[in-house]
Amino acid sequence: MSDTATALKQALTSIAGATGAALVDYTSGMALGTMGDSASFDLNVAAAGNTDVVRAKMRTMELLGLKGEIEDILITLTDQYHLIRLLKGRGGNGLFLYLVLDSSRANLAMARHQLRRIEEELEV
Amino acid sequence: MVRIPPPALPVRDRRAARALSPMLTRLAEERATGVLVREHGVLYLAEGRVVHAESPLAPDLGVLLTAHGTLAATAWQRAAAQAPDPAQAAEALLRSGVLPTGALELCHLDALYDAGYFALAPSGTPGRFRYGAGPRLGPLPSVPVVALERETLRRRLLLHRLWPDPAADSAPLIRADPAPGPAAALSVTPRQRAVLDRVDGVRTAADLARDLGRQAFHTLVDVRRLTAAGWIAPVPADPAPPPAPPPRPVTTDPDIALLKRLRDALEAL
Repeated sequence: MSDTATALKQALTSIAGATGAALVDYTSGMALGTMGDSASFDLNVAAAGNTDVVRAKMRTMELLGLKGEIEDILITLTDQYHLIRLLKGRGGNGLFLYLVLDSSRANLAMARHQLRRIEEELEV
Repeated sequence: MVRIPPPALPVRDRRAARALSPMLTRLAEERATGVLVREHGVLYLAEGRVVHAESPLAPDLGVLLTAHGTLAATAWQRAAAQAPDPAQAAEALLRSGVLPTGALELCHLDALYDAGYFALAPSGTPGRFRYGAGPRLGPLPSVPVVALERETLRRRLLLHRLWPDPAADSAPLIRADPAPGPAAALSVTPRQRAVLDRVDGVRTAADLARDLGRQAFHTLVDVRRLTAAGWIAPVPADPAPPPAPPPRPVTTDPDIALLKRLRDALEAL
């Protein structure tokens, strides 16, 4: 059991290459918590913008009639990975964890695995 | 004939316009503790930070916690009966450990930003602030005033982008006739479908939010999207008879008396 700030801090400290993390409500686009390097990267703006990514993918899946649920979405930049992990919360609100990784230092498989573990501990 | 353009109308300083409530900004600067009552909601401040918010237009923390099984309704009722306000009921739940910290924190922030959005809505009446030691910084997260104002502005812009007419936010909603075709039905998400199914010509967005146990702002997002897509529309208000002019308030306030004399003098010119 952990609170939001602890979960985000854990994401930054335990995941190699992580430089920023946010917990985002994807209906309103609001970041309920952010942590990381805010000087070079505005996580609130990233949070709001990435809600459109999540919405677009969900809508596409509905149009295609796919019944599976999105676990995570990976966006690969030349020097960064952006990882979006949707939370299956009991609260009924759509939330996702957003993680920014430095691609030269990150281990993608490991990062996905650790993000899943943090989600389980968050218990939202 | 030379036309002289009229002088520019005096406008308020842009920076002043950006603060949603100058009073709130001042209270934050002086790190005030107390309760700010505005037309559409109430903000609880402790040392200049927002610790709790309530609005008749937004479901309270209890609704958000119990609607989806995060917490049993009886557990909430028990906690609420023993605490003077919802914020302290939430703290009692936190201490008793019946609820994961993360879930409670998030629901608390959801409720705070949701009610705060309505509390900071433009209003026709001035806000009142009651200084008092009631609200305090507790274990649940508090929010700086600037963060709440920034988020409220962002939410207003988001709604405006979805559908610029705010009429559907507060009026009873009705299904549009004719409804959009079957092709459009594919683009209605399950969340929006739940809203659409409850539209009955009587209930407003706030009623739907409470009914669904969802944040009122989330419901506004769905309502504006459904309005933009032509599924629902606000019930047009009846052309009400013009209200009787309110009786002139009798006042002995020297400022108002002075203003009246000034007005009379100007009219006599």
